[in-house]
Parts: sequence; structure tokens; C-alpha cells
Amino acid sequence: MKKKLLSFFLLFFCFSVVFGQNKVITGKVTDQKDGSPLPGVSVIVKGSTAGTQTNLDGVYSLSVPDGTKALVFRYIGYKEADLPINGSIVNAQLEYDPKQLSEVVVVGYGTQKRSSITGAITSVSSKDIENTPVTTFEQAIQGKTAGVNIQAGNGKLGQDITIRVRGIASINGQIQPLIVMDGIVISDDNLSGTSAATNPLADINFNDIESIEVLKDASASAIYGSRASAGVLLITTKKGKAGTAQIEFGAQYGYDNPSRHRKFLNTTQWLQIEERAAVGAAPLDVANGSEPDLATALADDKAFVESRFTRYAAGSTNWTAYNTDWEKEAFQKAPHQQYDLDFSGGNDKTTYYFGGQALNQTGILKGNSFQRYSGRVNVVSQISKTFAAGANLNFAHVYNERLSNDDAFSTPLQIVALSPVTPVIDPRSGLISGTPPGASSNYPVYYDPLISVGNEYIHTGTYHTIGNIFANWELIKHLTFHSDFGIDQTNQNEDSYANSLTYRNTGTLNGSGFNDETIQVHFTTNHYLTYKGNLGTNSTLDGTAGFSFENNHFTTNSVSGQQFPSDAYKTIASAALINAGSSTQSAGTLVSYFGRANYAFKNKYLVSASVRADGSSNFGINNQYGYFPAGSVGWVLSQEDFLKNFQPLSNLKLRASYGLTGEAGTAYYQALGLFSGTAGYNGAPGQRYSQIANPNLKWEKTLQTDIGLDWGFFNNRLSGSLDYYNKDVSGMFLFVNIPETSGISTQLQNLGKMYNRGFEALITSENFVGKFRWSTSFNVAYNKNLVTDLNGQQIQGTSDLNWVIKGQEIGVFYGRQYAGVDPANGDALYYLNTKNADGSLNKATTNDPNAAANTVLGNAQPDWTGGITNTFSYKGFDLSFTFYGSFGNMIYNGGGQYMSANASNGFDNQTIDQLKYWDKPGDITNIPEPRLFYANGTSASSRYLESGNYVRLKQATIGYTFPKAMLAKVGIDKLRIFVNGSNLWLITKYSGWDPEVNADFLASSAPYNLGNDFYSAPQPRTITFGINVGL
Amino acid sequence: MKKLNRIYITALSTVLLLSACSKQLDLKPYQSLDQTSAIVTAQDVQVTLVGAYNRASLGDLYGGGVYIYADMLASQTLFDWQGTFQTQTDMVNQAITIDNSSVNGTWYAGYQVINAVNNVLANISKAGTSTNQDRTQGEAEFLRGMTYFDLVRLFGRDWNDGTPSANLGVPIILTPTTSITAASFVARSSVSAVYAQAIADLKDAEAKLPASNGFYANKYSAAAILARLYLQKGDYADAAAEATTVINSGAFSLNANYVDEFPNPGQVHVDNTAEDVFAIQFTPQSVNNVNFNTMNVFYASSDNAGRGDIIIKDSFVAGFETGDARIGIYNVDSGGSLRVDKFDNVDGNVHVIRLAELYLIRAEADLRLGQSGAAGSEAASDVNTIRARAQLAPLAVVTIADVLTERVHELAFEGGFFLYDAKRTSTANSQVNVGATPAFSPKLVFPIPQVELNANPKLVQNPGYGQ
Repeated sequence: MKKKLLSFFLLFFCFSVVFGQNKVITGKVTDQKDGSPLPGVSVIVKGSTAGTQTNLDGVYSLSVPDGTKALVFRYIGYKEADLPINGSIVNAQLEYDPKQLSEVVVVGYGTQKRSSITGAITSVSSKDIENTPVTTFEQAIQGKTAGVNIQAGNGKLGQDITIRVRGIASINGQIQPLIVMDGIVISDDNLSGTSAATNPLADINFNDIESIEVLKDASASAIYGSRASAGVLLITTKKGKAGTAQIEFGAQYGYDNPSRHRKFLNTTQWLQIEERAAVGAAPLDVANGSEPDLATALADDKAFVESRFTRYAAGSTNWTAYNTDWEKEAFQKAPHQQYDLDFSGGNDKTTYYFGGQALNQTGILKGNSFQRYSGRVNVVSQISKTFAAGANLNFAHVYNERLSNDDAFSTPLQIVALSPVTPVIDPRSGLISGTPPGASSNYPVYYDPLISVGNEYIHTGTYHTIGNIFANWELIKHLTFHSDFGIDQTNQNEDSYANSLTYRNTGTLNGSGFNDETIQVHFTTNHYLTYKGNLGTNSTLDGTAGFSFENNHFTTNSVSGQQFPSDAYKTIASAALINAGSSTQSAGTLVSYFGRANYAFKNKYLVSASVRADGSSNFGINNQYGYFPAGSVGWVLSQEDFLKNFQPLSNLKLRASYGLTGEAGTAYYQALGLFSGTAGYNGAPGQRYSQIANPNLKWEKTLQTDIGLDWGFFNNRLSGSLDYYNKDVSGMFLFVNIPETSGISTQLQNLGKMYNRGFEALITSENFVGKFRWSTSFNVAYNKNLVTDLNGQQIQGTSDLNWVIKGQEIGVFYGRQYAGVDPANGDALYYLNTKNADGSLNKATTNDPNAAANTVLGNAQPDWTGGITNTFSYKGFDLSFTFYGSFGNMIYNGGGQYMSANASNGFDNQTIDQLKYWDKPGDITNIPEPRLFYANGTSASSRYLESGNYVRLKQATIGYTFPKAMLAKVGIDKLRIFVNGSNLWLITKYSGWDPEVNADFLASSAPYNLGNDFYSAPQPRTITFGINVGL
Repeated sequence: MKKLNRIYITALSTVLLLSACSKQLDLKPYQSLDQTSAIVTAQDVQVTLVGAYNRASLGDLYGGGVYIYADMLASQTLFDWQGTFQTQTDMVNQAITIDNSSVNGTWYAGYQVINAVNNVLANISKAGTSTNQDRTQGEAEFLRGMTYFDLVRLFGRDWNDGTPSANLGVPIILTPTTSITAASFVARSSVSAVYAQAIADLKDAEAKLPASNGFYANKYSAAAILARLYLQKGDYADAAAEATTVINSGAFSLNANYVDEFPNPGQVHVDNTAEDVFAIQFTPQSVNNVNFNTMNVFYASSDNAGRGDIIIKDSFVAGFETGDARIGIYNVDSGGSLRVDKFDNVDGNVHVIRLAELYLIRAEADLRLGQSGAAGSEAASDVNTIRARAQLAPLAVVTIADVLTERVHELAFEGGFFLYDAKRTSTANSQVNVGATPAFSPKLVFPIPQVELNANPKLVQNPGYGQ
């Protein structure tokens, strides 16, 4: 067809008659595919800038000077057409070109053509993430962006998700990338009132997102200066297109299930191990003097555990009457539904996009749910020839029914500690076991989390508004002034209540509750000039310079109450005792100046430079400003003569960048020496020394180098990129341990040095084109993090084994090395690992955990991460699936000392592997002898450390799009039905629930608490059925 | 519009915005004060002193940790430990690890009190009238002296164990911290030097404090802690003298019933009893959750908001004389476990020292000084005063062993006496067994926290902790 068209026009060209005067050309521009008119197409006289645009019907009329031979038709997303003028009518049929869409890349304070980019930028488009059955956009892009490691901590909805661009950027600074949406900075500050972080980005409906660009190196990100060290995510939302109004409706419905279960002992097995634990404890009772002789000890201990069996079997001496699988009781069948309705359109002056969404997701854990209602309005209008203005506005309401932290008795998965002999319903009371007025003070063994369902809650309601207004003013030709004012405002209410039935957990009679209100207002304003122009025929120059100001302000109010008249009263208005209340404020400001220039010579030689100056209120007056320059060069080899004729090669670009980014820290007022008024005593006011000053505190610096290669073969059917990077961090913020004898335990200092080095590769391939299409996108990243200087410090996390140690990765597991079990006596053994005179480690073993020296046990950060997405289509059918893999890290099960403790640490039910315990001399096993309450082998050690490698089928979609011709009869433009799935399949040797884990209460307390499992719920496996309708 | 105008308008608005924004960088915190402006007035000194009490009431210190942790080390014949906190399990097993967070908690809380006190003392001239200055200084010194005494008992060897002037105690810090300098890295002083500092503080406190001072420390609080200290040190004459000061003050009286010392009318704050010489105050209005009653956490059953980790052995209660009213504080909870009910009020005070102990200190000191324990003697009268309140018949002749037994029955679980009495009644050649461990075993001394050793190279670890 194309060839025919071309020869047709050529024919006309050959016979054209040239008239020596101005004439008017008219015509219609249509889509080659279906003949529909294309409005807003630029029609330009070839060789000049004179031109016009097509109207809503795709029709144009243009007066062209004498001698004009051809017209150029340009339309975003379509191949450019260059058509000869032949007569007074020139109709054009434009060919859709999906690659064109990615041609323009959003960069900091502007856009740039992909071909002229010299930095490391990864783009994700709406097509890659639309309709993914997950809650947040981070989950949707998991596995689709090289060098961006995204991880959820557990399967609770609405909780924190970590994004690490090229490794962990800092120890104590901001390590989530900067998020910029439509030019304004979005706050991703955790506003949770509990020690489990929530995720403000979950308020964003990702079906509104047009593209996400990840700025990874200094060249791309240094224009964001002091906050760019952890990378920058630029989110661009959907805009309307001139033309017929579009209405799109989408609906999905499905279910979430736990992606994995973990096995615990049944009744027979549990009774056996506990009896054995009594036997194991008896000799030690004698040894420490609490029992007179072994016979008495054995009898006493046996009687003791058996009295407990009776207690936990709901008072029955028939201990085997029940065999409860408590793990299953924590979960529920979880419906998942989502509805989207979008309108978009416009004319040549004004375009609009209106998007709305309702999402209602039930958690796999009892009591957990997430609802999001969001709306978006994006409008832009060309008010005059030189002046355009617009607004983007997003408003969302999120309602999250949350759960207790992973370390709380009331968190659903701690239910696994309960004894299998305990019935779910206590037959004595007919109530859930442990519910007052039934036996509840010491029955079951712990507080039963099922009691919390319906009797205890923490509800987070958020109203999140993100919006900006902007104007672009063309001052003179090529020079545009841009101004915007934006606000990101969150009003969050957390309402928590636990009634009298939860007394054993809360310890508060007659109920307790708290209510927190947090208001965050993040104000951003940007003002900059943009120049885009040609310097002669061969070189182009564009530049941006401007300034911005941000103010981030928090206000919190909270009140806690106790003593409610009855369980029917739930708000603190009814609390007889107001036991705590507070209001606080904090604020930070940032004043910035920035500039960038890009120069290209013959589209072959590319040079780019940028600089940013940031002033931050976080620092003292002497160190308020920091300067962050970056530069990069690119060489498009494929444009060189010696390669131009090498047909298979369609693109080859070498690029290199070098620059400085910064990190301003996460805490306001961090440089000051402070007293705090939070030290009252029995109603009298008090103050205490709370923070030691560091007048020398300054910016953390990251010097970044990136060398990259972009390549494409066979007209870019096979293309990709390869990047090597080095991020050297110096002056890193460290909470340096100072002697606690000073009354303060740490001081924030600029001491540390660290690097992240690695490479990323991306390969995309269109394996088949034509009727049957198959494309593959593969990305892989390797990152090596190494702490090179801590000024002699060692920093211990608040978890059991995470440390920050010179010469190791951040968060390295460091502790006792488990050496198995002494076959002679069943003692847990540890390697001494003390230093011998020759410097080697003493690998002799000891049964005294204290005698064992700490040693490096493994890394908590993955070395390799990657994803592969395959997309197939045939006729109306489409199929795609994404695998995500993570390798090289270990996971520490902090709950191991309770759940995998060879019954040596209380009556907790044990994981199934504990049955292989040491029983008699000569037994060779890794599980020590059970010794009730004698902590045999339960000290934090490598015993509870396992490889965290996994490969997961993250997402899969199968869909069918009905033929247009068929739909036209019923007046529908587009109709697609699909089945979506996430977390469908997991390959791992990790024995816990899920290798994608980091216990919430630890993750939020220190950034180097990495790779910890603690009764953390697995990711949900979601399957939804959906429909998309376009009108 | 002319192009030139556009540029002027843009330039002008830019300059205006720029100048407005760059003024916004100097922000002051809302909830905190800069250290240079925090202590200016007499009121500032007073609130800093209250802050020292606040730090003293931390769970790992006088919130009860300093006493219960000592008793946990000596608990093997007293109670069954059924808790799952590894840090406490290790104490009960006399196998504390150097990274034990509760041990570090006690250390750090102790030095937070000491730094707060040092801030008060460095600014004492701002504390108003000389009367007010004396009272403020006395309270501050009381808290510091008591804290040094308890730190050295936990982290150093006992006074009786070897040579106190050679044994390592804890670092002595007497000036407030404003910045970290070479002087911030302080080595451990000897046990005797720390005792000397504690005595100096407490004596000056006794001299400066008023006889009555609300729920804060008064003159007799200092005298009472001094009496306890002198007894631990074997300085019986001074112990008896200080005990007499408190007993004769008339400011305190024994409750008619023993159990009245431990009221539990529900979860509410209860003021000091007539018998309390000094107590740490708790209210439901906790300023933050680090200030909690640790005794309640571990001793109280879940009937009373505790964890119920400690079950008293029947054999312990069986050792009481028949008719001893003090058995009334040991009761079986709703789940059938025997509990000590002294700490059932989650918002109850921690009784740091009460009058009954001073009678027993004086009686023991008298006997050890060679005075008579016969009927009519001060020692006999003191012991029989305690016995009478327990509804027990008087003893005709009182021996040291009688006093020690009386201490167990009267003061059990309150002040770490199971450990400290075992230590002070031991000698190198004749050590009392704590569980199956001799009282002077290194296992019964806390380790210097690992994090502190890492931060301060001048510190030396205690024996038995892998150094």
C-alpha cells in the first residue's frame, strides 16, 4: 500500500506544472490505518516555518508562496510525511508509529528528543502499566525498569514500598527517589502514626499516568541538585488530544489470595516436641539450683508442660481433641475491584483529560482493606499565539483499614504462635478462643489476633490533592518563559480503637483509642526560561535557566483516650481518661537556582551541561548552600560516514556523564543543639537535652559517573542500551555513636564514604511483526554497594543482625555464626570466630553464644535484579507476562527465635522443620535439643539466615480486543476483555512466606534494617477479570 | 504586547519572587529550643531538674529495670521465668550478652539522668533564691548520687569483692555536654571512686534538701539511700546513723497493713504512702511510652496489664512463717499462676525506698557493729516493729540471720536485694550461692554495653565478656 501511494505521488510530481504566483492548497489528513480524520496535524511549507494545523475534521487550508514544491505533515505518534504539491489539493495519509511516542522524553524542567539525550534515562509508558491489578504505580513498574529495584515489605495493603535507583544512595539521608509529577515535587513522606510506614504514592491512580521517566545518572538528575542522589522519577499524566472526544471505561473484578503458606506443627507433633522440651529442661533446672534432683525435675517439668497442654486445649485433658491450622485462620478470601472512567479530547486551542477511578481492594489478612477514589483534571489552553496556560489537578481519597505492626501480638500472622491443641472457638464460652468473659488472661498461649478482627482497628483516611497551574509565554522567537505554582496537600486522619475484649493485648481496661490528624502542605513554584534554536545549519542549542522555591510544612494533632463506657462507644469523646495528646509543627524550605544547556553538532556530537544551586533550611547559616554541576557528552556513531552505510545498524550512540548530586538529609533542624520540652514528670513540666549540635553539618555529596551505549539494529527492531555507573558518596550523614556517658547516644556527622557501582543492560526485540506479533523486553542490573569509610564506627541496626561496617554493604548481616548441633549432647554450637595470632579466624565451636565473636554472615541487598516481559498478539488476542528476579541477598527470620526455636523459648508453635531436633547422643541434625525456656540455639545467629533469591511471575495478562467493524454496528469504538494476574508464581528456596520481605516496624526505624522477616505477610496473588470500553 | 515589555515583566516578577523566597531559609524548630537559649531563667533550671526525674523514670532505670534486672540474675529459686524477651531470658539464665539492649538501656538512661543533673548544677546560680538554689541542687545531687550508686552496683564488682579502689566502676561525669570533644571520652573510675562520688552527692543533698518536698526528693530520701549505700559498703556505723535520721524524722510511718503499701485501685495514679521515703511517680498521662513501670510489665499477670512472664515458686511462699500477713501479697491469678501483687497497678509508683527497709538496715548495722540483739535492744525493737506489722510475734533475741530473713520476706522483689544482699554478705572465701552461681561470679556483673565500648575506646570490658 505504502509503495503504491508513494509511486502515485511521484507520478504527480513528475508531471506537475509550476505556476509563478501564491496559491492556496487544501486537503484532508487521515489515519492510514482506518481513514479517520486527524486534527491538529502541523502542515508546513517545506524549507520554511510557515504552516498551519488541520481542524477537527482533519482539513487544512494553507497559502503557500510561489515555487513551493512540497508540504511536510507532522503529527505526534505518526511518521512524518513529505508530500509534493500537485495541483491545489494535497491529501495525506499518515502512518501510526508507536516508536514516535517515545521520541520525546520528559527531562527536568523540559523535554528533549530521545536521540539527543546524553544521560541515563529509563522510560515507562502508560501501556506498560495500565490495568495492572496492584495498588500503586511502583508495583506496576516492578521488573520493567533496569536498575530500579522496587520492593514491598509485606502483603499488607497501602504500606511502604521501597524504590532504590542504582542501589541505596545513603545511610541516613533520603533514599527514595525524588518524585516529580507534572513539574512539581510530590512528597512521599511517611505520615503513619504507627511505626509501620504507609505509602503516600498509593494515593495516585496510575491509570492517569502517561509516562514515567527514571533519571538515573548525574547528567539527567543533577538539575534536581541536593535531592537527586537517590535518582528522580518524573511522572507525566495524561493530556487530552485535539479531536473527537474519547470516553473510556474500564472495570476489573477478582480475588486476592496469599501467594504462599508456611507449615507449622500439628497437634501430635507439637505435644511431642513440648514433652521433649520438658525432658531437655530438667537437667538444667537441677544445675542452676531451681530443682533438687533430676527425678524431681523431670516429674515437675512434665507436670508443668502437661498442665499447659490442658490449659491451651481449652481446659480439656483430651489434648488431641483439636488440631487447628492457625496459619490459615489469619487469611481471608479477598475481593478486588476497580472501575475507571476517563474523558479526553479538545480542539486546536484547548485540550482536556478527565480521569476518575474507584478501587476497592480487600487484604488477604483479616481486617485489611484499601479503597481509593480519585479524580484528575488536566487542561491546557493556547490563550494567544504566544501564551498558553493550563492546570493539572488530582484529588484523591484513600481509606485504608490497617493492621498492627508485624511485631504486635495482634498482627494476624502472629497467630501462628498459637497451639494447634487450641480450638478456634472455645467450647466453654462459645466465643473465639481468648475472648472475655471466657478464659482470656493466659489462654491461649498468646493474645489471639482473631479477637482484634472487629474489636480493634486503625483506619487511615487520606485526602490528597496535587495540583498546579502553569503558563508558557513565548517572549521572543525560540525563548519561552515558564511559570508554575503547585501544591501537594495531604490531610490524613488516623482513627484507632481497641475495645475491652482486646484487653490482653492492650493492657488497658475498658478500651483505648487514639486519633491523629496530619496536614502536610508542600508548596512548589518553578520559573524558568527555555531557549530552543539553531546555530547555523549544523548545530542546535537549547537551554533552560531558572529558579524554584519549595516549602514543606507539617502540622499534626493527636489525642489518646482510655476508659470507654462500653464497647459501643468508640470515639475519644467518650473516653473518661485522656491519657495523651499533642500537637506539633515542622517545616523545611529549599531555594534553588538551576540551568542547563544542550548543544548538538550535526546530530552527531552532543554536549550537555547543567548546574544547580540549592539552599536548604536543614543546615546552619554557614552551610546553607550547595552547588551541583554535571556534564555529559554523546557521540552518535551511526551518523558517521563510516557506519552510515552499514545497513543492519540503525542506531549507535556512546554517551558519558559526570556530575555531582547531593543529599540534604531527612530531618529538619538536624544541625542544631536542642532541648525538648517532652520531659514532664507527674504533671510537672520538664525539658531535656534531646539533640547534640553539629555546626559543621553540610551536604552529603555523590559524585556520579555513567558510561552508556545505546544501540539498535534492523531499523531498531532489536535495540537496547548498556550502562556502567559509579556513584561515590562522601561526607555521608552518619549518626555516629558518641559515648552515652555524655547523655546523648548519637551525633549526626558528615563522615562516611560509600559507593554504588554497577551496570544495567536493556534489550528489546520485536521477534515477530505482522499478524502475529511477539516482542520481548529484558533488563538486568548488577549493583555493588560498599561502605568505604565510617571513621572507625560500626553502626548496628535495630534489627538483630543488620550492621553498617566498613568494607561491607550497607545493612550487612553480621553476628554469630551458627555451627549446628553437638551430636554428643544436643547443644547449639557457634563458631568462635575470634582472631588467631596469625589473623585467621578460630573456627573452633562453643555452646556459649557470648563466646562467639561476630562475623560477616551475608548481604542484605541483592546483587542482581532483572525482569523480562514478553508480549504477544494475534488478531484481537494479546498476551503478556513479566518475570521479576532478585539474587544475591540473604533474609533473616527475626521470628525464628520464637517459631523455629526447637521449643526452647516458650510454648510457641514451631515450624515443621523443628521436628528434626536432636533427641539422643549421636544424632546428627541442625536443630538443637528442645529445652523449654533454656534458649538452646535461639540467640540471633546465622541459624535464621537464608538465601533470598527468587524469580517471580509478577504479572500476566491475556486479553481479547473485538474487531472495530463489529463494534461500529453497536456504536462502540473499542472493546477489550481481559484476565489479569499478579504474583502468580514464585520460584525460591526461601522457607518463609515470601522472599520479597522487610518487616514493617524494622524497615521504618532504620534504612539499614534490610532483609528482615518477622511474621510478615506474603504478597497477595491477584487474579482479576476486566473489560475496557471506548466510546 | 511588545516583546520588550514581556521581558521586562518577566524580569521584574522574577526578581520579586527571588527576594521573597531566599528569606525563607532560616527556620526555627517549633517543639524544641536551641541549647543556648534553653536554660536562662530560674523556671528553666527547675524544668531541667524535672527533666532529670523524667529520665530517672525510664523503664530501664527507676521505672524498675535497675531493680528487677538485678533480681532476675538471682531468680532461680524464686520464680519461674516464662517470658520470651531474649534480653530478660538471658538475665534469668545468668548469661547476659554484651549486646543486651536492656543492659544498654540502663546504662544510657543512667547517664541521661547524670547529664540532666549536670545541666542543672552548671546553671544553679540561675535558680533564684538561695533556698531555691539549695533545694534544686539537693534534688539534682540526690538523683546523681543514687544513679551512680546503682550503676556501680550493676556494672562493677561488689564493694566486698576484691579491692574496690582497683576494681573498675563506671565513668564519672560531672559537667553537662554541649559538644563532643576529647574530654567526652572518659575511662571507668574505680568502684571506690564512684562510691565516693555517690556519697559526696548524697551527703550534700541531705544537707541542702528540705525535710518536706512533695513527691520530689527530700532530705530523708538522700539519708535513706545513703543508709542503703553504707550497708552495701559495710560501713555499718554510717548506715545506722543515716537510718536513724530517717526513722527519727517522724516524717514517715509504717502502713497499718503490709498490703496497703501496694495499692491497686485500678489504672490510676496513687500518691506516695506514709511509708514511702522516695518513689518514682507514674500516671496514665505518660509523656511518652518509654516511661513505664517495668515491674508491672514483668511481674503483673495479664489480669493487671502485665506480661505475666514471672510465676512465683510455691517454695518461696512456703518459706514464710505461718500467719505472716505478707503472704497476702502473693496470690494466684485468674489463670492459676502464683503472682507477686506488689506491682499490679500499671500506673502505680515504683517504691524506690520505704521506711521498713531503714528499720532493717539499722537492725543489721547494729548487730554487725557488735551491739546486742537481745530483747529491748534497738535491733530487736526494729525487727519486731516490722514483724508486728506482719502480724507475727516478736522475737526474743534477734540475729543477723533473722534480719536477713526478715529482709527477704519484707522486701522481696522490690529492690534487687536478692542479688545485692547475696553479694554484700559474701566474702572471697565464703560466697553465697545465687542460684548455682557464687555471688562474686563475673556472670552476676553487667557487661559494659558493646555499643559503648565501640564508641569509647577508653572503656574496658568486665571479665567474662569476651575481652
